[in-house]
Formats: sequence, structure tokens, C-alpha cells
Amino acid sequence: MNLATRQPWLMLSMLVVPLLTLASPAWLRIAGISPAWAPLWLLPWALVDGQLSGSVAGFCLGLLLDSLHPGPVSTIPALLLLGWWWGRLGYQGPPIERSFNLALLAMIGTLGLNLSLMAQWAWRSWLGLRGLQGASAARLALPGWHGSDLALAGVQVLLSQLLLAALLAPVFCSLLLLLFRRLQTASGRG
Amino acid sequence: MPASRWLRPGATRSLFQVWPLLIALGLLTLVRLSKGAFLLDAYAQLSRPFWPGTAQAEWLRSARRSEDQVRLAQLETENQRLRGLLQLQTLSPTRLSAPVISRVPAGWWQHLLLGKGSLDGVKVGQAVLAPGGLIGLVSSVTPMTATVTLLTDPSSRVGVWVLRNRHQALLSGLGTSRPVVRFLEKDPQVQPGDVVFTSPASTLVPANLPVGVLQSVDERADPAPEAVVQLIAPVDAVDWVQVLVPR
Repeated sequence: MNLATRQPWLMLSMLVVPLLTLASPAWLRIAGISPAWAPLWLLPWALVDGQLSGSVAGFCLGLLLDSLHPGPVSTIPALLLLGWWWGRLGYQGPPIERSFNLALLAMIGTLGLNLSLMAQWAWRSWLGLRGLQGASAARLALPGWHGSDLALAGVQVLLSQLLLAALLAPVFCSLLLLLFRRLQTASGRG
Repeated sequence: MPASRWLRPGATRSLFQVWPLLIALGLLTLVRLSKGAFLLDAYAQLSRPFWPGTAQAEWLRSARRSEDQVRLAQLETENQRLRGLLQLQTLSPTRLSAPVISRVPAGWWQHLLLGKGSLDGVKVGQAVLAPGGLIGLVSSVTPMTATVTLLTDPSSRVGVWVLRNRHQALLSGLGTSRPVVRFLEKDPQVQPGDVVFTSPASTLVPANLPVGVLQSVDERADPAPEAVVQLIAPVDAVDWVQVLVPR
């Protein structure tokens, strides 16, 4: 938790995630789908600063991202758990630095984030449809992602973001990891 | 430092060190509760130098003239029949041009961010048009920005009708680039190529705004026939849109 306590201003760097989400250029998209930037920032932060700091950062990041979306589902649970898990990994065993490992962890994080959103949509759909008996116009009017949408467009979103995470993580996460480690070492000396 | 050690009672020094984090957490909660007002307005200010130029605004006006001519003919016939029903909207809304400063056409949330907000008179629920027709509805506003939920978003539901035979339907986003129209009648008698307009029965949007063209019809769908719609407005390319602001 060195970075979060000794250099709390560094957490402001998480503002880059919602800004990148909003400004994501067309050439960084696959089939119109933008990368999931949150795991790409959270992974190096949690690896360097530990599980408590990772969880707090994941929660804060979830608050920021949820504020951009009008939808009823939340990114907070997945990001909080990912921050905790990656922080734990950072303090166990040898340091994780290789591009392949970072890409793999970023992909798992992106998978977890997407699956959590899919599960929340599926749960809300089930709750909504359960209250409506039979085939009625109200079923058609029920907004949100439902089973068939999740199975088609939802899976497409998931696969696209997995691919983008694998492509971006070796560059984005490596640079952030290097930056955070240097700042941590500097703050440790100070 | 492991978490268990950090959380140990008596570690007052660590707690003292963490107070900026608590303040930041409070601020972020405020950001969340305000639906990102600070964040979106900051983004609008930061990206202002890169907003689209006025060239497409001219093109938009030209396209609007062409669109008006097409709509005029059908509106004249419709006005005679619906005059009684349309008493609720005796004044036609004005069109407020707004630049698109962020675009998310695909993914879990499909929306546009416009560079005009409540200070310019934009409110939640207003219809948003691009050259060709309706693209979505305003779902949230900040003082300087407005978020538009696209018709392709699965949370979007808009009442439409096929003008040729006046059959009512519900336009539903599926998360793909082409929404689907679900008819309320068992035998809607529609065919590919029919044009879909917003329904006069809808209370969400003004009547008879062009929406899209039927691409394929599935008459055996359950519980009602449905058809895939190609939207007329090019959501991926448009840089300027028009918000229908009531007078």
C-alpha cells in the first residue's frame, strides 16, 4: 500500500481509464467494440501495491466507470475482486513482469469483468421475465440484455475485448508496471 | 505491506496516512452519484480542440432539406387523419445541432456523448436525429454534455409503425448494429423494403420520424412476427446530430 499512502496523487492516474473509454479511437476497436481499459490499469497497480490497495483502486475505478453508463449493472464487484486477486499475486512468489504473463492476467481479468456483466444482465432478465406470465406484449417491451442477445452480441463483445486485452496488455501494462515500480522504489527510499 | 498487518488495531500511523484516500473515495462516490457530471464535463473541455468542424453541419442542413421533402408528402396525408390525435403536439420542436464528442457504437452500453447539455436546453428523453432519421434518445445530461442511448442498445424500446399499412410495432435494440421490429399483430403484411417511422401512438418520441428500412421478415417468430431493421442514419460516421427540443 506504499503507493496509495505515500503518493495518493498517483491514484489520480486512474482517471485515464474513463477518459480512454470515452475517447477510444476507431482504429483501436474490433467490430466497433472498444477495449476494456479498466483491467489494463488495475493489473499493474494491484501487482505493485498489494491486495488492499488493489481492492480500493478496483472499487474507485468501478465507481468512475459506472457513472458513465446509464445501465443498471455495475463493474464494481468484478474490479474489486480482480484488484484483490492481482494484489495477492503480486505479493506471492516471484514478481510478475513478463509480457506473456501480463497479457494472460489481463485476459483473465477482462473475461471476469465481462462474465460479471453478463451474469448481472442474465439475472435481471430472469427476474423481469419471471414476473410476466405467458407471451405478452410486456415481455417484448422489457428492456435490457436477454438470453439470445447475450448469446450472440454479448459473446461477440467478450471475444473482441479478450483479443484487445491480449494485444494491448504487453505494452500498456508493462509500461505502467515499470512506472509504478520505480515510483514505489523512490517513495520507499524517501 | 500485507493487509493483515495494515489493518491491525493500533496502526494509527497507517490510518493517518490513508486519510487522503478516504477523501478521494468520498469524492468518487459523489462523482458516481452525479452520474459522472464532473468527469463528462472535464472530458468535454479537454476534447474541445478536437471536436468535429462545421463542414458536416452544412451537410447536415442539406440532408435535412432532402429529408423534409420526403417527409412532407406523407405528413400531409397523415395530418388529415391524425389531426385529432396530434392535438398534444401543436407546436413542432426546434432542432438543436450538437457535436458528437464520444462514440461507443458497440459493447455493453451503446451511446453517444454530445457536446451540448442542460445549459443549452437539452433534457432527458428528447429525440436525437442524424441525417436520415432517428438514432436514439437522450438518457442523461450534465451542464455541458448529453448522453444518447442508441436505438441499437438493448435497453432501447421505441414505438414505430410501417407507414404503408399502418401496422404498429416495437423497435428493440439487440446489441448488434441492426435492431429488430416486433409487430403487435399476428399478420402484419410487411415486406423487406418497407420504411419504418416513429409511431404517433408513442409518447416517447415525436411522430413520423424516419427510423429504418425492413431488411428481412420472420413471420414465424414467437410470440409475434418480427423483422430486422437497417437504420437509415449512419451512427458510425455522423459527427453532428440534432436534438429535438420542444418550443
